[in-house]
Amino acid sequence: MIGKIFAIEEFATFDGPGIRMSVFLKGCPMRCEWCHNPEGQSPETEYKRNQNGCLACGACVGVGGGRLVEKSVEVCPRNLVKKCGEDISCDDLCKRIMKNADLLNATGGGVTFSGGEPLMQSDFVKECIDYLRPKVHCALQTSGCAAEETFQKVLACCNFVLYDLKLMDKNQHVRYCGVDNELILKNYETLASSGKDFVTRLPLIPGVTDTEDNITAVASFMQRLSVDKIELLPYNKLTGSKYSSLMRKYTPSFDGNIAPSPRVKIFTGRGIQVKVL
Amino acid sequence: MNERILTLQQYLLSKKYRELRSDEKLSVPQKQKSESQMMYSARFFSYITEKEEAVFYGKDDTLGFHLHYNNQISDGNQFGNLTIDYKKVLEIGLDGYFAEIGKRFQDADSKGSEFYSAARLCLFTLKKLVQKWRDKAKEEGRNRLYDALLQVPEGGASDYYQATVTCKFMQYALHLGGCRHITFGRFDQYMKPYFDASIANGMTQEELLNETELFFLSLNFDSDLYSVVQTGDNGQSMILGPEINDLTEICLRASEELRLIDPKINVRVNGDTPLSVYERGTKLTKQGLGFPQYSNDDVVIPGLVSLGYKKEDAEDYSVAACWEFIPSGNGADIPNIATMNYPKVVEIATKKHLRFSKDFPTFLQKTEKELISYAKRLIREKNKYKPLPKPLLSIFVVPCVKRGRDLSDCGAKYNNSGMHGAGLSTAADALAAIKKLVFEEKSVKKKDLLKALKNNFVGYEGLQKQLLACPKMGNNDDYVDDIAVRLMKTFSGYVNNKPNNRGGIWRAGTGSAQEYVLSGKKVGATSDGRNAGEPFACSYSPSLQAQIIGPLSAIQSFTKPDLKETINGGPFTIEIHDTVFRNEEGEKKVAALIKSFFDLGGHQMQINAINRDKLLDAQKHPEKYPNLIVRVWGWSGYFNELDQEFQDHVIRRCEYGEN
Repeated sequence: MIGKIFAIEEFATFDGPGIRMSVFLKGCPMRCEWCHNPEGQSPETEYKRNQNGCLACGACVGVGGGRLVEKSVEVCPRNLVKKCGEDISCDDLCKRIMKNADLLNATGGGVTFSGGEPLMQSDFVKECIDYLRPKVHCALQTSGCAAEETFQKVLACCNFVLYDLKLMDKNQHVRYCGVDNELILKNYETLASSGKDFVTRLPLIPGVTDTEDNITAVASFMQRLSVDKIELLPYNKLTGSKYSSLMRKYTPSFDGNIAPSPRVKIFTGRGIQVKVL
Repeated sequence: MNERILTLQQYLLSKKYRELRSDEKLSVPQKQKSESQMMYSARFFSYITEKEEAVFYGKDDTLGFHLHYNNQISDGNQFGNLTIDYKKVLEIGLDGYFAEIGKRFQDADSKGSEFYSAARLCLFTLKKLVQKWRDKAKEEGRNRLYDALLQVPEGGASDYYQATVTCKFMQYALHLGGCRHITFGRFDQYMKPYFDASIANGMTQEELLNETELFFLSLNFDSDLYSVVQTGDNGQSMILGPEINDLTEICLRASEELRLIDPKINVRVNGDTPLSVYERGTKLTKQGLGFPQYSNDDVVIPGLVSLGYKKEDAEDYSVAACWEFIPSGNGADIPNIATMNYPKVVEIATKKHLRFSKDFPTFLQKTEKELISYAKRLIREKNKYKPLPKPLLSIFVVPCVKRGRDLSDCGAKYNNSGMHGAGLSTAADALAAIKKLVFEEKSVKKKDLLKALKNNFVGYEGLQKQLLACPKMGNNDDYVDDIAVRLMKTFSGYVNNKPNNRGGIWRAGTGSAQEYVLSGKKVGATSDGRNAGEPFACSYSPSLQAQIIGPLSAIQSFTKPDLKETINGGPFTIEIHDTVFRNEEGEKKVAALIKSFFDLGGHQMQINAINRDKLLDAQKHPEKYPNLIVRVWGWSGYFNELDQEFQDHVIRRCEYGEN
């Protein structure tokens, strides 16, 4: 099978245990306001321009009628335009990963399928995991925003899951992430009762996900499912930096300058261990 | 760090103490006709010591021993980049050397008599220098130091404080005498008996940490005056391990707390080194100082033995100022006397032979021939170098005193010469591109490539892009890595064990020293797509033009050559984004990565916690970052004190791990 990825990272330090390679799959059904991988959203190949060193000569957009296109890569005199989205066969991708297998295994690491939302290409991901899993530890980093059977199919074959929760309130979720959270919560329940090793993550977005109400709701939900650990990811002010290279504007409705509140006690009070990354 | 050390550190960083130095320009005493160069050198030291003034910095009890003159004068000989026999100095003191020389004097031959006379004058001068500081310490009521100076450095040390006083004095006195890049060697090993003595006297670990911090701090006051090429390049390195003792831990902690450029820490590791040692080291790396630098005993020791070093000396190795593996206290190796400029060789071969080579193997063979003749020329030229006598330094390098011979007269046990290897990745990439585009795909004509290179790609931008897209060393791609392996093998195979002119041999290395920038300027456009004059990678690393998949691929590429054969040293260098270090998990992964490099057979590695945005901002607003430290080549310095081309290079290096 052929999949579409937008990056492979060899030293992903926050995507699971040990030294990990991360494969970033292109395409995501969600549109979180704070998305730090905007190039992962569209399932189509895109082009991005590094602004550092740009001469503003206009050659790149000139050939694309105002947009960045394939030809822009060739015409940029500074080599700043890059293709974002590579079609790759399962075989080729797995061979690239296998070149590092010994090193990954020696450090208790492995490979993490991330994105975008990897479940949007679930068949491809499953095929890769089936190929790799006898030799390499495979993790899935997901928002859980996928049909139940899709989620279960990949869950069954991977070793480890990194699962993002964001907002418990349905309307808020629609407002900030662009989709309903029903499937996400349902899949999370499946995960919690699956016996699979996993970690829950919550991005702390000031005034959005870090409110007392939301954190209390997340913690209670987890407590009900007997989940006892969570990793909190404080909002990073550099999140917006990738948008301009895609010629998009980053316009969050929240104030990113406010420091997010981890409200650790709400979790620990419910017997949930907290790690702030 | 206690309050007292903190105050001293602030005082150091304020640089106010520099106002106490003198700008006076001393005249250089002329060598007299009747006088030998040896005696002149000794007399020169006596002259400059006479002029030197003992000025203490700060109200607190720093160790003293600061150079007083901003304009250092020299007897024309800066012999150095070695480590003296600290163990012996600490044991017997200056008076012990006096006694030894006295004993040997009467049976000496004429050369020996001359050396001993000069050495005796140097020792006498050293004692006068001690006297100067002792008097001053007494006058100012610096009683602890005064008491110590009643015993050391003239006599042997009996506790840790006295031992640090001796070390600091030696460093200062040798620099005053014009010796440069005198490194501290295996500090945690030779200092251990004195550390233990102080513990036995009732001192606590915490007090000894403070003592160590005081010593480390004191080394930073003269950092700028000791420097050679760029500020910070001052040779104040030490090497710890591989046995980790209490003092090793204290040295690492002191360095981590102080966050200063000196001393530069190296750590010896081997196959038995547990991950926890790398994790400990990574906490220091996190401070952004660019050290520790690690070296792998499992590669270095057999490498040195195969070059003729005795096993016990190989096992006792240290590093020179940057990374060169040298024996401890008995060597006068000159490990940085020559540099193989790999890209220059490829440039020569491309101009001369590409047109007439029918296939790539032929062209590669021609390139290797050029490499050998380049090395041959360097060896011939550098074998003419005759160091001037340096009796002051010779006293402390064994067995000069026993033999009655100066370092310049092969008095030391080892007298080898080293040749760096700069720009390997650029050269391998250039050859890979030629192989692929010219010989295999035939998509580029030889004459077009030659014209493009000649014109520095002006008018050939498309071709340059094709070249840039070719395989690059660092991506674990045998296509290009195999070429690098061959170039290195040819280089080391030719250079290693060739005789030099000092009774020693040549050793090949993987370092670049400042040549990654300076030699880069002398090489035109290269067929990897690099523009004329652009720098190469620092030491043994992927080129700046290479798009590297990541550190796992890079460490696999760079451990393909047999690194036992390039034991003149030169680290694989890797830049890791500082956010990776933001929690313990990230730190542990960096430690695991370092260990992986050595498990694969790496010889030496240096890791930088770096943040490009911060460095760019520091270039624009230097005032915001007065104490920002970066690794330059084999040493760390203050970013603001570097020439811009060296700043730019740090910024352009490949950075891994930003999530």
